[in-house]
Amino acid sequence: MTKAFLGIDTGSISTKGVLIDEDRTIIARSYLWTEGNPTNAARRVVDDLKSQINPEDVEILGVGTTGSARRLVGAMTHATVIKNEITAHAVGTTYLHPDVRTILEIGGQDSKIICVENGVATDYAMNTLCAAGTGSFLSSQAHRLGLEVEEFGDVALTSKKPANIAARCTVFAESDLVHKIQMGYPREDIVAGLCKAVASNYLNNVGKGKKIVGPVVFQGGVSKNAGVVHFFEELLGQEVMVDPDGHLMGCFGAALLAAEASHTTKMEEPFDWNVSKIEFKTREVECNKCANHCEIICVYQEGKLIDSWGNRCDKGEIKAKK
Amino acid sequence: MPEFPFTNGHGTSSSLPDGSEDTKGPWSAHVVLGNAAKRPFRLLPKRKNRKLPKNTEKRIAFFHYGDYEVAFKFFVEHVVGAEYVKLPPATKRTLELGSAHSTDFVCAPYKHILGTYIEALEQGANVLVQFAGPCRLGYYGELQEAELRSMGYEFEMMNFSSLDGLSPRRYLAEAKKHLNPELKLKRAIPNAAAAFKLLGHLDEIRDFYLANAGFELERGTFEKTVEDIHARFSQCTNGREIRKVYLEGMQQLRNIPIDKPENPLRVGIVGEVFTAVDPFSNLFTEKKLLEMGVEIHRTVNLTNRWVHYNEENLRASITEYCDYDMGPTSSLTIASAKKYAQLGFDGILHLKSSGCTPEIDCMPTLQRISRDYGIPMLFLSFDSQTSDTGLDTRLEAFYDMIARKRTIA
Repeated sequence: MTKAFLGIDTGSISTKGVLIDEDRTIIARSYLWTEGNPTNAARRVVDDLKSQINPEDVEILGVGTTGSARRLVGAMTHATVIKNEITAHAVGTTYLHPDVRTILEIGGQDSKIICVENGVATDYAMNTLCAAGTGSFLSSQAHRLGLEVEEFGDVALTSKKPANIAARCTVFAESDLVHKIQMGYPREDIVAGLCKAVASNYLNNVGKGKKIVGPVVFQGGVSKNAGVVHFFEELLGQEVMVDPDGHLMGCFGAALLAAEASHTTKMEEPFDWNVSKIEFKTREVECNKCANHCEIICVYQEGKLIDSWGNRCDKGEIKAKK
Repeated sequence: MPEFPFTNGHGTSSSLPDGSEDTKGPWSAHVVLGNAAKRPFRLLPKRKNRKLPKNTEKRIAFFHYGDYEVAFKFFVEHVVGAEYVKLPPATKRTLELGSAHSTDFVCAPYKHILGTYIEALEQGANVLVQFAGPCRLGYYGELQEAELRSMGYEFEMMNFSSLDGLSPRRYLAEAKKHLNPELKLKRAIPNAAAAFKLLGHLDEIRDFYLANAGFELERGTFEKTVEDIHARFSQCTNGREIRKVYLEGMQQLRNIPIDKPENPLRVGIVGEVFTAVDPFSNLFTEKKLLEMGVEIHRTVNLTNRWVHYNEENLRASITEYCDYDMGPTSSLTIASAKKYAQLGFDGILHLKSSGCTPEIDCMPTLQRISRDYGIPMLFLSFDSQTSDTGLDTRLEAFYDMIARKRTIA
C-alpha cells in the first residue's frame, strides 16, 4: 500500500493535479483546461490521476488545494490544507530547487514574483491592476493571429526583429497589435514583440523594485512559451530555468503542504476516488441583513450544505447543520 | 522684452498691470483674465447664500474615519453645543453612492467621504464637517460641497481643512464663527482640550488592541471591549469623565486573557493617512491580520500625524533616505518603516488608495529600506473596486511567508 498526498491547483485557465508519495516523489500528474468549470475540472483531474495508478493500492493521507478555486475544490475533496497559490508555489519550487533565489511566475490571470533566501520566501509581489501580459492575454492574442498558443514560443524565436508593442494595458496592447497587423508586419515579428512585451512589462510592474538575483526559475503556464523565456534571459542578462514540471509547482506545493500538515491534520474520512460521481452545487445567497449585501457562497454535496463563505460578519454566517 | 505680466526671473521685481509692485519674489507668476483692475472673469455663476436660514437648529455630521467617531460626537455636543448626527456604519451602499457621484479617477477617500455625506444628509444632517487635509484631501471639502449642492442638497459646510495642525483654540474660533455664534470661548476651552485628549486616548486604545487582539483566548473579546469603551466615551460630558472611562477601559483591556508568545510575529502598518487608518477603506486589513495571530503596530493616526506631528524631527531620523519633506505623510511613512525594520519586525504593510501620488513617491524609498534591512514589505492599493478575495490571498501569502521564514530560519 503506497501512502500518498494529493495536490490540486485550480486556476482560471488550467487545472493541475499531482500525487506524491511519502518520499515527495511525483507518482501521477495531470494538466488540463478549467474551461470555466472548476468543479468539473477538479473531477477530471482526479479521474486522470486515478487512471495513472492503482487506486486500490494507494492510500491518500492528505489533500491540499490551491489556485483561485481552492476553497470550492477544497470543500469538494475534504482538503486538509487550503492554501493560496503564492505560498504553494514558493513551497513547491524551493523543494525542487533549494538554491533558487527568484521565482518568476506568470499564470492565466495573475503574475507574481517571489524572492527567496536560503530556501525561504522573503518577499513577494503580485500584479495589482490589470491582466496585461498574463496567459489569458497571450491566448486571446494567439487566437487573433490564427495561432495556437502552444506554437507561440517557437514562432517568436524565428523573428529577427521583434515589433514594438505597447503592452501596458490589455486593451491598448490589442489595438497596438491590430495596428501592426494592418501595417503588414511579419507575423513572427509581432509574436516576438508580444513575448518581449510580456517579459518587459512583467519586470517593470510586478518585478519593480525587487532585486532579481540568480538562480532564476520561471514557471506558470506562460513559462512553456520559449519566446517569453528567451526575452526574460535577454532582459535579465542571466539564465532563466524552466522546470519541465514548472506548471505543476502550485499543486506540488499544495501536496507538500498537505504532507507537512499530515502529522496534525488527518483526513476526516478516507478520500473518495469517486468524487466525479458525486454531485456538487454552488449557490450564491445575498445576505440582506445590512447594506453590505455580502454574497455568500454555499457549496452543497448531494443537496447537503458542506461549506459556505463570503460573509463579512457573524450576522451572515450560514453553518452546515450537523 | 514682450509686455507680459511675469517677473523676469532674475530677482528684480516688476510691476503688475494695476501698477502695484510685485513683492512675492522672483518666481511668482500672475495670470490675468479679463479686466484685472475690476475683477477677473467669473468662471462660475454666483452662488446662492450658503448659510442656513437663521435659527435653524444645527445638526452636525462628520464622516467615517477610523474609530474617532466618539471624539467627533463629543466635540459637537459638548464643545460646539449642537446636535450630532450619528451615521449608520459604512457599507457597500456608502461607497456606491460616493462612487456614483465622483469621477472615476479621484482617490477612494473622496468617494468614501462623499458617500458618507450623502448618507448623513439623508439622516437629516444640515451641517457637514470636513477636516482632513494634508494632501489632495484638503481640497476635497470644496469639491464635495459643490457636488452635493449640484445634487440639490441644502446644507452648510464647515471646512476645517485650512487649519494647519490641531490647535484647540483655532478650531474653537472657527466653530464659533460658523457653527454657534453664542459659543462662549472661555467655557468651551476645557472641553475642546478634552476632545483633543480623547483623540489620544482613542489612539492608545487602538494601539493596545492592535498589539494584543491577535492573541485573545476567546475570539471577539477585544473587539467587544473596545466597542464597550467607545459606547461609554460617547456618554461622557467632560474631560474628567473621559479620563475615568479611559483609565477603566485600559485596565479592562489589560485584564483580557491572552496567550501571547514571548516573541510573536510583528507587522508594522504604514501608509496613506485615510486608507491606512479607516478600516472600512482598507477592507478591514488589520482585523484580517489579527485573526491570523500577529502583533500589529501602526504609527499613522490622528495623534501622530496631527497633534504631535513634527516633520523635521521625523526626517532627522531618515537623513540617509530623504533630504526634504516629500509630502503629507511621507516622512512619517518612511521613518516608521525604518523604525519597524530596526526593531526587527517580521514585515511591513504599506496601505494606500490607488493613485495616491505622495505614497507612490515613498515606495522606491520603502523598497530600499526593505532591501537594506531584509524586511519583507507588501504594497497594497485600495480603490472602490478592490475585492476582498484578492486581499485575502495577498495577506494570507504574506503571513505564510513571514511565519515560514521564522520556523525555517
